[in-house]
Amino acid sequence: MSTAEAMPSAEELKLCCASAYQRDAVALILGDSYHPGGLDLTRRLARSLELRPGDRVLDVASGPGTTAFLLASEFGVEVDGVDLGDLTVAKANAAAASEGLGDRVRFHLGDAERIPLPDASVDAIVCECAFCTFPDKKTAAAEMARVVKPGGRVGITDVALDPTRLDAELQSLAGWVSCLADARPVEQYIEILAGAGLTVIKTESHDDALERMVEQIDARLVAFRMAKLPALAGVDFDLARERTAQAARAVRDGIAGYSLLVATK
Amino acid sequence: MTMTPDRQKVDRDEVFLEYTKSICPICKTVIDGEVNAKDNKIFLRKRCSEHGQFEALLYSDAEMYFDSLRFNKPGTIPLETQTEVKDGCPLDCGLCPEHKQHACLGIIEVNTNCNLDCPICFADSGHQPDGFSLTMDQVEAGLDAFVRSEGEPEVVMFSGGEPTIHPEILGFMRMAADKGVKIVNLNTNGMRLAHDRKFMKDMSELPKRPNIYMQFDGFAERTHTEIRGRDLRNAKQKALDNCAEFGLNVTLVAAVERGLNDHELGDIVRFGIKHPAVRSVAYQPVTHSGRHVEFDPMNRLTNADIVHGLADQCPEWFRESDFFPVPCCFPTCRSITYCLVDGEEVVPIPRLVQIEDYLDYVSNRVMPDMSVRGALEKLWSASAVPGTEMTAEQLECATCGIDLPEALKSITDKAFMIVIQDFQDPYTLNVKQLMKCCVEEITPDGRLIPFCAYNSVGYREEVREQLSGVSVPTIVPNAEELQPVLLTTKYGSKTHGNGGGDADGNGAADGSDHVPADATNVGKNLR
Repeated sequence: MSTAEAMPSAEELKLCCASAYQRDAVALILGDSYHPGGLDLTRRLARSLELRPGDRVLDVASGPGTTAFLLASEFGVEVDGVDLGDLTVAKANAAAASEGLGDRVRFHLGDAERIPLPDASVDAIVCECAFCTFPDKKTAAAEMARVVKPGGRVGITDVALDPTRLDAELQSLAGWVSCLADARPVEQYIEILAGAGLTVIKTESHDDALERMVEQIDARLVAFRMAKLPALAGVDFDLARERTAQAARAVRDGIAGYSLLVATK
Repeated sequence: MTMTPDRQKVDRDEVFLEYTKSICPICKTVIDGEVNAKDNKIFLRKRCSEHGQFEALLYSDAEMYFDSLRFNKPGTIPLETQTEVKDGCPLDCGLCPEHKQHACLGIIEVNTNCNLDCPICFADSGHQPDGFSLTMDQVEAGLDAFVRSEGEPEVVMFSGGEPTIHPEILGFMRMAADKGVKIVNLNTNGMRLAHDRKFMKDMSELPKRPNIYMQFDGFAERTHTEIRGRDLRNAKQKALDNCAEFGLNVTLVAAVERGLNDHELGDIVRFGIKHPAVRSVAYQPVTHSGRHVEFDPMNRLTNADIVHGLADQCPEWFRESDFFPVPCCFPTCRSITYCLVDGEEVVPIPRLVQIEDYLDYVSNRVMPDMSVRGALEKLWSASAVPGTEMTAEQLECATCGIDLPEALKSITDKAFMIVIQDFQDPYTLNVKQLMKCCVEEITPDGRLIPFCAYNSVGYREEVREQLSGVSVPTIVPNAEELQPVLLTTKYGSKTHGNGGGDADGNGAADGSDHVPADATNVGKNLR
């Protein structure tokens, strides 16, 4: 990868990633409660996991907890969420209590590479738009394989792209947009999961969801420019929008996409 | 064995969707109706035992129609209903206890007189000596009924006729505000606003400034002459400039007719976004009630045509997916979008917030953020009026869900609303939609009659007759297929010519009883 020297180290990236989502500027531009496909794609992912009421589900990189709440209230499962941001975890636990789901949904501070749950303790795992940000994907996959029960399912939705085919500008941009930083082609995700003993039994393309997200980021850029936020005074909005236009083209050209993968142990 | 080829079974060319009730467009008798999908369009068909079969286009994009159905919010029960259930919908208006929604918007038509005689006028108004003009007491009775029903009503719209020529209009608007109505709308053709600066000043000094809901159909001379009967372009511009000068917010309201001004959709919103007084545009396919030009019910304009038209004519700003149905009424009746505007730059709000995650009431049981849903509900509502404090607050909250923090004060100033509203007429009336209507005509006898029932079923004629003491014929749509049986009334609208009386209802068999019989619940059984 030609941008290797520009990339932060694995540990730096991970920390920067979690704290970036708590930091205003990036959270402002990306939004903090949204992943491509929204609730509809979450439902689709949940259905392909064949969840049964009472199942125990792990949400890796659970963010504000929207997915966990959806799974608990619509699919009747218990959910453990794990996230790297302590503020995020505290907020999500508070939200669980106020949603009346405190007894079925819990959030833990934790790392995808050291999941704070025992072996073979969950029936299914979901991980939305986060696997691509994990610097050590092999370990993260191994951790998922460790905590899921034999026969259990792992559902992942994520950005899939071939970084070598990206425009040079987008490659360097990918260094600071965490979602793109270490995204891989679908085949590589399948390979990494297989290496951990997780067999991918289904893949689907949801590129339109990514296209919509790129568009949303572009719309936010315009809105922020209108708002003249002091915090974003130094941002070159025209340049940022050129990049979103490039990203939209990359999605249309099939270089970047959004994939749903279901694997079984 | 032989098989005769002409005896083969064939499939129907349409998909049967639902069974409902409607009315005969001629005699207004309540009859059964069926809704079908054909060629990616939605149609309503019905048969009157006396006047035969009628069919009309409801929605010209079936996929858009189906997609909108999930944006259907459970209704809210009003504090008080005004009538009893006796004959069933739509004969008990209203509101009756079976109505599914409270009133987001109440309309008071203060007069029948108008300073224009437009070829298109659902109220059938004009320079007419034999109409009515409400007194202060009559308006108060209506407002009181509205307050009893709503507690704190959201919006009252004063309409007519032409409400600005009513001598008491300022008093009416003041009274509505005094009674706790949050927003006052003035529905006007703008003629008085163009030349009466004293009136403008008086309005700007009202404790609650009205939002000006101004007819504005386009820019072509033909648009003006065919819809309004006169070239009003200069007067409209003057009226709008006066509104800007006196600090009154304006909604441009375009009556859109197929083949007449449906090519001006994009120009209207471009003009509105640029004009300092204009905060919203409302597009309304011409309502084929009252007075209107001849039309084909199978090829009428619907909300879907406006959405597609805007996307085609204004591709730099809008596309179809920017428009979302309004969940408080029946979702196929009204679609809305909001956008943030700064010079030439326009950002539709649905590109910032995933609206369907909040307003899809069928699949969503979990909300990313309930307060965002609450805010979006108030924005995607018949009572939303941009430029008011209330709407700014909701925009702020809705956009909070997408983390646009302190800057919101400046951003909500830039909000612009686009509304697309198709009203039902005697051809398209479907009680399923009517039962959830949230736009009501308030009558001095204290009823809140759903707008489309008022225009289509016979209530308008009944109320005018009561208030004016002058007999009013039952109005029939000016449809192509009905031409042989239509007579022109003295107001310019059409009535059925074989009713046994003259065009003005004198001596007609259905004379003063405008609210017709129900042929669907006639109490028959098989044995």
